[in-house]
Amino acid sequence: MWRPAMRIELTAALRRGLQAVRRVAGMPDYAAYVEHRSRHHPGDPVATEREFYAEHVTARYTDSPTRCC
Amino acid sequence: MQTIGWILVSLVGAVSWGVLALHRGETISAAWLVLAAVGTYLVAYRFYARFLATRVLEIDPTRATPAERLSNGRDFVPTSRGVLFGHHFAAIAGAGPLVGPVLAAQFGYLPGMIWIVFGVVLGGAVQDFVILFASMRRDGKSLGQMAKEEIGPVTGVAAMIAILAIMIILLAVLALVVVNALRDSPWGLFTIACTVPIALLMGFWMKVWRPGRTLEATTVGIVLLMASLVGGRVVAESATLAPYFTMNAATIAWLIIAYGFVASVLPVWMLLCPRDYLSTFMKVGTIVLLAIGILVVLPPIKLPALTQFIDGTGPVFAGKLFPFAFITIACGAISGFHALVASGTTPKMLRREGDAPLIGYGGMLMESFVAVMALCAAAVLDPGVYFAINAPLATLGGSLDAAAETIRGWGFVVTPGQMEALATSVGETTLLARTGGAPSLAVGMAQIFAGAFGTHLTALWYHFAIMFEALFILTTVDTGTRVGRFMFQELAGHLWEPMGRTSWYPSTVIASGAVVAGWGWFLLQGVHDPLGGINTLWPLFGISNQLLAAIALAVGTTVLIRSGKARYAWVTLLPLAWLLVVTLTAGWQKIFAADPRLGFLSHAAATSTRIAGGALDASVGARLIFNDRLNVGVAAFFMAVVVLVVISSARVWVNILRGTTPATTREAPYVATSYAN
Repeated sequence: MWRPAMRIELTAALRRGLQAVRRVAGMPDYAAYVEHRSRHHPGDPVATEREFYAEHVTARYTDSPTRCC
Repeated sequence: MQTIGWILVSLVGAVSWGVLALHRGETISAAWLVLAAVGTYLVAYRFYARFLATRVLEIDPTRATPAERLSNGRDFVPTSRGVLFGHHFAAIAGAGPLVGPVLAAQFGYLPGMIWIVFGVVLGGAVQDFVILFASMRRDGKSLGQMAKEEIGPVTGVAAMIAILAIMIILLAVLALVVVNALRDSPWGLFTIACTVPIALLMGFWMKVWRPGRTLEATTVGIVLLMASLVGGRVVAESATLAPYFTMNAATIAWLIIAYGFVASVLPVWMLLCPRDYLSTFMKVGTIVLLAIGILVVLPPIKLPALTQFIDGTGPVFAGKLFPFAFITIACGAISGFHALVASGTTPKMLRREGDAPLIGYGGMLMESFVAVMALCAAAVLDPGVYFAINAPLATLGGSLDAAAETIRGWGFVVTPGQMEALATSVGETTLLARTGGAPSLAVGMAQIFAGAFGTHLTALWYHFAIMFEALFILTTVDTGTRVGRFMFQELAGHLWEPMGRTSWYPSTVIASGAVVAGWGWFLLQGVHDPLGGINTLWPLFGISNQLLAAIALAVGTTVLIRSGKARYAWVTLLPLAWLLVVTLTAGWQKIFAADPRLGFLSHAAATSTRIAGGALDASVGARLIFNDRLNVGVAAFFMAVVVLVVISSARVWVNILRGTTPATTREAPYVATSYAN
């Protein structure tokens, strides 16, 4: 009964689930960033995952409080 | 059909409130508290939040949000509403809604319950929603920026100084909660100490070895954390290891101060960020677990609806029901700090305007429910046990026998054997006078979890609860110190330009040192306070948090009036007026009350008398008197700032209503959304 289509669907569902977990926890979402760059700024340089992570983390804990009492 | 449904929900809520209000002297089930709260939340969300959204704020589903217009894949990211709800809830919920209701339970469960539920519906959730909306319409501007632009530059600077001062008191009191939970507790201290190397490992994992693999590293971190929780028991039972992790309050306080400084100076990826991930998952997971536990067990409430301590003689903190119940419970009912989060990351992630009521109003209802659960966890304890854990040692008397005698004098029953057995069952040597709320919450949670999942793990549940609270409080301490450092640098940069350069290392060290010294001072003051410190510091924190809420509501009112909605300004003016009455009364009493337990000035006078009479060492007494005067200054400063902000806002309101100032607002111009409606 196992069809390749099911596998693709399952993988996609898993990916969406993990993305949701990441966003809830305030973790960087590299895949979304890459997609954004390719859609809105095609051809422009894209930060590597290492660069993106470092930048995201620095920005997140610099601005305003991210956690309340 | 829908109408019938809403009538039923309203009826269930009303009947539950009736049960809570009318039952006296017999135990009732926690189910009534849960039903009363949830019924009220549903009705409020369906009717009041919708009224706010459609009439007052005029949410426009066709208007593009900043996340859509400014989308950059980094901070401006359109996020689906379920996920953003989780994100926002994880950001606003912290130790506040867990600790405040536990402390306020000294008045009985009813005052706290009423304030948590009606305070949130009419105040806290309105504040969060209005500020989230205002920030969303202004490209995600912060509360300080909005205060500056909508009210005036002086107010903006005053608000910034107030936020920094509030942060310092907040960090001190939260750190004190951790100190009281971990002192003389090798199990707890070992587990929390382990979080530092675990966070370092995660940090290097995510930054150096496997860049960006955050979930992978966090999974490893959580597994190691659970191992260290189990390992804590081995340490506590080992005669050779236990002494290394058995420390008194002052030592732990100094360790936390050192940790706060180091975490603020180190790069964030190394320590701060991994701890944040770890604590977020633990926090959300434990809150879900607690909700399941309460709903499965529906434990009986043993605390009376009202105790005699509403007259102000309570041992947990001084002061009468009014105004002190309303500042002791800040988070959960209304929390000014949320205005900072609601004008921070969340407005930059809203996909549609129509999601704002769920995130802003609904997110705060959820936090309020956490506060109700914390109240349940405190109220399932025997009242005698509750007071034995939460009253300071100086009030209880030094021994278990003396404490049992004191508590009997208050009309509650607890035996020394009962306290000993309880301490043993949770793997501690003593639970007497573990003030600060966290330990009694952990005992209550352990009882609920044990009821739901089996009693043989009670000790593990207790330390799990302690670990989860200490973990995210320390995360607030390090992220808060860091944010405080940036605020300090920005403010100091106005006086001397180089201090404002955040990349200049000496400025970083000086600013971090200043912030840590600030909260460290108050923390040590609390540790050395013979009445346990929570007594003094928690009310100061409550006052400051509620005053920040007053500032946020003043900003919200200004935004409403500026956009021509003066006839609806009561939605923010009513909670603002209530908060002003509560906090200014509480502040005044903390400074001037004649009872030395309550008033700082009379406490200083009483201390001088004791020094003069030779009952107190002069150097110790001098320090107590200095702290009293410092606390007077802090309370007076908070009151002055809020009066200043409200007066300057009121001038803007009057000028607009008279027509001398144009009713203009700084909203970003309308752009139509490209999402299908």
